[in-house]
Amino acid sequence: MTILRKFARGFLALFQKKQFDNELEEELRGFIEAAAEQKMRAGMSREEAFRAAHTEMGSTAAVRDQVNESGWESVIESIWQDLRYCFRILRSNPGFTALAVLTLAVGMGASTTVFTWIDTVLLNPLPGVPTSGEVVAFENITPNGQFVTVSYPDYRDYRDHLKLLEGITATRPSALALGEEDHSQTIWGQFVTGNYFAVLQVQPEMGRVFLPAEYADTPNAFPVAVISHRLWQSRFNSAPEIIGKTIHVNRHELTVVGVTRRDFNGSMVGLQFDIWIPYMMRAELQSLNSDWLLGDRNNRDVLAMARLQPGVSVEQAQSEIAEFARQLAKLYPEYDQGMSATVLPLKKGHFGPQGLLLGPLQILMAAACVLLLIVCSNVANLLLAKSTVRRREFSLRLALGAKRTRLARQLLTEGLLLAAAASILGTCIAIWLGHSLPYLLPPRDVPLTLDVHVNVHLLVFAGLTCVITALLSSLIPALQSVRANLNDTLKESGRTGTSGPRSHRTRAALVIAEVSLALVTLISAGVFVRSFQASEKIDVGFDPRSVLLSRFFPSTTGYNLEQRKQFCIRLREKLEEQPGVTAVAYSDGVPLGYEPSWWENLKIKGYVPATGENMKIYRNVVSPGYFSLMHIPLKEGRDFTEHDDEKSAPVVIVSQAFAKHFLGKGMALGRQVYGWGRWFTVVGIAQDSKYHYPTEATIPYFYVPFRQVFRADMALTFYIKTSGDPVTAISTMREAVYQIDPNVTIFNSVPMTQFIGASLFPQKIAAALLGALGFLSLLLAAIGLYSVMAYSVAQRTHEIGIRMALGAKSTSVLKLVIHQGMRLTLAGLLLGGVAALLVSRNMAAISLSGPTMAGAGNLLGGSAIDPVIYIGAAAFLAAVALLASYIPARRATKVDPLVALRYE
Amino acid sequence: MADRSTDLVQGTLDMLILKTLALEPMHGWGIAQRIEQISRGVFQVNPGSLFPAFRRLERSGWIKGEWRATENNRRGKYYILTDAGRNKLKTETREWGRQIAAISRILEA
Repeated sequence: MTILRKFARGFLALFQKKQFDNELEEELRGFIEAAAEQKMRAGMSREEAFRAAHTEMGSTAAVRDQVNESGWESVIESIWQDLRYCFRILRSNPGFTALAVLTLAVGMGASTTVFTWIDTVLLNPLPGVPTSGEVVAFENITPNGQFVTVSYPDYRDYRDHLKLLEGITATRPSALALGEEDHSQTIWGQFVTGNYFAVLQVQPEMGRVFLPAEYADTPNAFPVAVISHRLWQSRFNSAPEIIGKTIHVNRHELTVVGVTRRDFNGSMVGLQFDIWIPYMMRAELQSLNSDWLLGDRNNRDVLAMARLQPGVSVEQAQSEIAEFARQLAKLYPEYDQGMSATVLPLKKGHFGPQGLLLGPLQILMAAACVLLLIVCSNVANLLLAKSTVRRREFSLRLALGAKRTRLARQLLTEGLLLAAAASILGTCIAIWLGHSLPYLLPPRDVPLTLDVHVNVHLLVFAGLTCVITALLSSLIPALQSVRANLNDTLKESGRTGTSGPRSHRTRAALVIAEVSLALVTLISAGVFVRSFQASEKIDVGFDPRSVLLSRFFPSTTGYNLEQRKQFCIRLREKLEEQPGVTAVAYSDGVPLGYEPSWWENLKIKGYVPATGENMKIYRNVVSPGYFSLMHIPLKEGRDFTEHDDEKSAPVVIVSQAFAKHFLGKGMALGRQVYGWGRWFTVVGIAQDSKYHYPTEATIPYFYVPFRQVFRADMALTFYIKTSGDPVTAISTMREAVYQIDPNVTIFNSVPMTQFIGASLFPQKIAAALLGALGFLSLLLAAIGLYSVMAYSVAQRTHEIGIRMALGAKSTSVLKLVIHQGMRLTLAGLLLGGVAALLVSRNMAAISLSGPTMAGAGNLLGGSAIDPVIYIGAAAFLAAVALLASYIPARRATKVDPLVALRYE
Repeated sequence: MADRSTDLVQGTLDMLILKTLALEPMHGWGIAQRIEQISRGVFQVNPGSLFPAFRRLERSGWIKGEWRATENNRRGKYYILTDAGRNKLKTETREWGRQIAAISRILEA
């Protein structure tokens, strides 16, 4: 009760200040009068009495202050006073204020932007899923430790036997054709097991999600679908009768039973899906064999996610899963031998954009923090300079009775105000830049949804950076000026405020720190740019020029297997007749595309695999003419022909690395390879090329003909080599397809050079961003150095004037000043060089693609410690520093010595 | 005049003010005089400590300030002990007594 009362009284006092002050004044007057009267009664004269009474009391102002301070509201008052004072000061110095605010805003904007990206990708990966923190990714692990997706039969066994998981669901993203013949549109959706929405704990906005009855494993039994809010709006005009409506997907009828909430996008981080269909419908909708789809343990094509039982830790679940995986391996050695499984927190999952972005984002965050540190040192320098000028003012105030803490608090408030203004500006920058996150990812098929929202995390982060920046920038200046020695500063005649040796040392230290940080950033930027350039020059082993790629999704056409094959053959024949077309081929996967390609488990006659060796080898399914179109030389043997069809003996072409590793010495041609349940004969050896990343190591690879290995779930890409610009072939392609079947849609036509560029995307972006940050750091460090030099020169104008009057030449003055600047720079460069060495060791470890089965692409192609980069960056920085020292030095020498002598 | 005002600890001053007001309402000067008189000149309270104490005690609700006419028919602020203040005085006195007894025991041990 007392606290409440105190609070209330203080609050009242804030608003009734005037009245309270008057009352107190009156009370004190009464006190003095009473004291004086007593003295007069003792015999003093009126004047003497009053004077004595006044002396006894001391200063009324002091008493009043002491009374005021006894209430809590005085703190608020003084803070308010500080704010108003700082505001006035900052406003009276617009140049300084603008520079400081802009500098701070750059640093804070950069770090807040990167933070929002991290927040979107890592901290809030699945919008619309309320408890996404408890959802984990479920992945298989191959015998040599790489993470792969799961097969449906394995998933079923895990689902039925694992106790520590509350639920496990499997999904498969797919392109689907929605609508009637003429208005069909390609949408992206996920085939999901019936319990999908239950595991994610996602509720629909309208209608329902899948019922437990629909969780059963009966193929083709549940022709239902749940659509996204966005699809409902765009395609169905938000019609209220959507529930129960029949839609056509891949020319099959489904009933819409529910619409999800607006913010739900599916369960792959950053990707936007529009429809969810029970997995049991997949065989029917994509014209696949359901026995194979649901029964082949080698067909690892579903992504699995799970929710842990409440109270179960990830480690506990991991050990149960690993144990069960061992049992599965014993039961099905042909498929699952040596395979294990595990669950991982979503942000560590390997399939999805977050796997790609994790590494680069970490680097960016580090770089942004470095930038922020540089920014803080810069502003600290500026504040120090300003406070040195105000030394005299502070000393006076201290002499008049101000408390040191009050002065320090005022300086901190100044820093806080600057930081607050910068943080608002920085947050706006961050929101604007945040929307450009999708540009960090290569162009993908599935629409991205890396939406950046202004949410609580963002504001908290912005607030924290604001406070930390303010402290970092203004702490040192505040401490400095508060330690001012009263006597010295007041006595100094003719100087507006020299910096004592301590202050100069601090500024020097700040500049050294800035220079070293800038060097680290520059070196990192240099490393990335170099590695990017190196990757661009790598020989990929084939010739992508003048080739147009056109991709199809045969599963959306409604064709059966045989029809699809015929379509390919006919299309190829037709295209070869067109003018301007020099070669046509088609294949399943595209090299250096962004999708991992397929592999197959092989047995090779005459080769005994080592224990635990992974016999899953990457392959491509190609048409005849593929190798000549791509300019991949065949070292031995022959290409496929149209005679290698369903009736003739199965054949295979292997890569050089394959032959070297598996076929050893002796004739490779004629050897037998077992896969897909059949024996294939090697008829050719192709030169090694790059398949997944330009920076990958050479891996064994093989090719099989389309007509002999055609699986219904394969993709299809047509290659057209043109005599001119490949873009001209787009309409030719469209025409030809239309003539064969008007209902088949080409998904995407793009020149191959452009498509391949996507694989270099991460490096390109990393190089670009770090280059930008490096440049900014350089600029800021230069500004910092310049301001220090300019200031110290201004300090020494008096001294310079004396020197020149005594006969010193301008060159020796120049040398003096430049020496000072370069000494600082050198110290900073040394420090920065050491720091960069330490940092680069960590950077080299960051991989771009995550340990999927593809050869991991490292962010840095070559060695991170390249002396050329170090020396180049240091030289560049030194040159800039030289310039920054030279300019003020030159100005100093231009000053008329007489003016300098009189300079105060 | 002897300027040997022994500085009183904040809590003790509060207690003395409350005790002084227990007898009758008084204004600031009166309280200072009374404390000086009764302590026989040992404690000379200066206004710099007195008035903040008044503010504190008022805030806590133990005394109440009222503007009245003084002896010379001028306006003066008189402080009155409230019921809560009376209680507070009782507890403080009791506590003070305990502390004094304990200190004596230690000194005589």
